[in-house]
Amino acid sequence: MSPNGAQPSIMIVDDEEMVIASIKAFLQLETEYAVHGFTDPEEAARFAEGQPVDVAVSDYLMPKMNGIQLLARIKEKQPEASRVLLTGHADKQSAIQAINQVSLFQYLEKPWDNEQLLLVIQSGAERARLFRELRTKVEQLDSANSSLKDVQKRLLEAFL
Amino acid sequence: MSSPAAELHQMAAVGRLLAGIVHEINTPLGSIFSNNEVMLRSLDMIGPLLAEGTPEALARAGKLVATCQSLGAVDRIACERIRAVIRGLKTLSRVDGAEPRRVDLNLHLMDTLKLAQAEFRGRIAVETDLGELPEVECYPQMLNQVFLNLLVNAGQAIEGEGRIAVRTRLEGDTVHISIADSGRGMTPEAQARAFEPGFTTKPVGEGTGLGLPISREIVEEKHCGSIDFESRPGAGTTFHIRIPVQQKRSAP
Repeated sequence: MSPNGAQPSIMIVDDEEMVIASIKAFLQLETEYAVHGFTDPEEAARFAEGQPVDVAVSDYLMPKMNGIQLLARIKEKQPEASRVLLTGHADKQSAIQAINQVSLFQYLEKPWDNEQLLLVIQSGAERARLFRELRTKVEQLDSANSSLKDVQKRLLEAFL
Repeated sequence: MSSPAAELHQMAAVGRLLAGIVHEINTPLGSIFSNNEVMLRSLDMIGPLLAEGTPEALARAGKLVATCQSLGAVDRIACERIRAVIRGLKTLSRVDGAEPRRVDLNLHLMDTLKLAQAEFRGRIAVETDLGELPEVECYPQMLNQVFLNLLVNAGQAIEGEGRIAVRTRLEGDTVHISIADSGRGMTPEAQARAFEPGFTTKPVGEGTGLGLPISREIVEEKHCGSIDFESRPGAGTTFHIRIPVQQKRSAP
């Protein structure tokens, strides 16, 4: 659980139902994360538009949209989310493209190793939380700064 | 078909499919590994929970058992997927005997389709419309090679998403197999030269220019059948293969 009490939210996107079932069962056994599985990347993209996502794990080869396109769309809406590509297509081209285009957090290959996957998801969730905190702090600084400026302005007005 | 050129061509075709086949196996394999671990972990937890015996512990144990049951069902699907791919590979690697055999061509077509589909997955929707066929006397491995050639060509003719339709029908004493794609179609020049050995429109290293001439030789010379196609640039290509149900016997 993150300090503000919200459960980290993990998305698993794969056109294979079996992959979602396996990863979901594993994460539910080992973690307290809220796990959302999608076989349809369009639906996954819509989900990410509506609510916060900490880690998005996506397959590469899917109908309608590939994993890189999906992660790019999630990045637009959820810049803090950690993006992970989990692919069975051992293809360097897609790895390089993914890392460059969507600033990937991790690239994993199928068959995946659960320990490694868990480590990636945990550190991805932590990273997302830190980014959010950082953003909140920057916003607080900004507002403190502008209220200080406001006070200064009023002081100057009062005395000049 | 045992000429060196034909063998090389066949190896190239299978090589192109390998990446897709690896993907097709790695996905269910990943699931099986993961499920195995979760099931073992769950079993470790169930024993102590049962010993504890409180209603909460028993409810928790019941939940873990349910998880194991559903993962067992997932494993079964995953294993079946791997088995289907292996079956397709076996079909392809078998060698024909000297005499033709009576086989269910629909079955062979489906096995080959499963292999080719590894490459299409997610990109191309495959529609099959297989009519009732009698057993056909033929060299099934050779025909598999023809099907694979045509299916791979069809897949490569489609940029992005598209459709491949596979259809079989009995027409009198002939079996008619058609493979249609919604791909880019052939230019009039490509149509005129399609069966010419060495002619290819694919990039260097991808096409050998032998797929169609070899297919024609297999269908026409070895099976007294026919192979032809219709194609429109931008609209797709349909190949028609016709194979007699019964091969003509040489005079006794």
